[in-house]
Amino acid sequence: MEDHEILAKFREPASRNLAFNQLVRKYQQRVYWHVRKMVIDHADADDLTQDVFVKVWKHLANFRQDAQLFTWIYRIATNECLSFLQSKRRRFFLPLNDVGAELAAKLAADPAVAGDEIELKLQRAILRLPDKQRLVFNLRYYDEMPYEQMAEVTGTSVGALKASYHHAARKIEDYVTNADHETPSTGEVD
Amino acid sequence: MKTPFRLEDHPRRWPQPLSSPPTGYFEQLPTRVMARVAPAAPRPRPLAWLLRAPAALRTGLASTLLLGTFAASLWLGGAPLAPPTAPTASLDGVPPAQLVEYLTSGETHVDLLDLAELPAHHLGITKQYLQPSATELRAALDAQPADEAGLL
Repeated sequence: MEDHEILAKFREPASRNLAFNQLVRKYQQRVYWHVRKMVIDHADADDLTQDVFVKVWKHLANFRQDAQLFTWIYRIATNECLSFLQSKRRRFFLPLNDVGAELAAKLAADPAVAGDEIELKLQRAILRLPDKQRLVFNLRYYDEMPYEQMAEVTGTSVGALKASYHHAARKIEDYVTNADHETPSTGEVD
Repeated sequence: MKTPFRLEDHPRRWPQPLSSPPTGYFEQLPTRVMARVAPAAPRPRPLAWLLRAPAALRTGLASTLLLGTFAASLWLGGAPLAPPTAPTASLDGVPPAQLVEYLTSGETHVDLLDLAELPAHHLGITKQYLQPSATELRAALDAQPADEAGLL
């Protein structure tokens, strides 16, 4: 079902639930993985994904179609992730490196990554990026999102996004290249 | 010499680098989301009818409840509304001589004027408990000071 059909059905009270169910089915995997790459842990990603769709439900009636539906949903998901990570640091008075280390520990326990040394180094390097830069990297590298859409999602200019991505890629390459000579601890770096 | 790592040479994990969620997760997620967004069924509220009642009815009920509470507090904890027995009942067993002695003694705050007015307002009230003989009356009157005798 196309987005405009979903939106039209959502505006009708009789078909609102059906339309929203279709919307969740259409975007759930993209939202889940977008969130999961940011918070690493499945349980956290599950909670946040549900929260994202609850927010979409609450505000969909006010959605203006000057943006694509999925970039609008991505934007909500992005804000949820950043708020989650920020509140986690604030709640436990944790320094940046401690949250990064916690995420790295969860990453190391992930069976899909644990057995692949290079992949583990790559994921650790990604985790060392600041949250917003990590977000930009994920959108571009894994989701292959065009910069114009990324600009809609992040509210950042295309030029700034390109610079941020290339800066992130260089830091990751440097880290993986020199990982054997660095301490194994992970955390965010500027 | 270290081999430089380059992202474009690294096989990218597709579609995602992390382990998949539990089996059936994406089949169940829409149901769970819909359960959260569906409006909760209204729970029966015992006093909901009161909120829908007209203002006059609510005011009346509140007044009745207030009066009822006041009456109940009086009935349960306050003084009895009526004395269980008449004041004369406890005087029946007192000998007349002691009554006269009490009433005419200087320790009471009852003077002869009070004694003169009481029978005038409540005729026969003393018949229930005061049956003095002529001798007793005479003796009592003789014992009074001469200047108050004219009041009787």
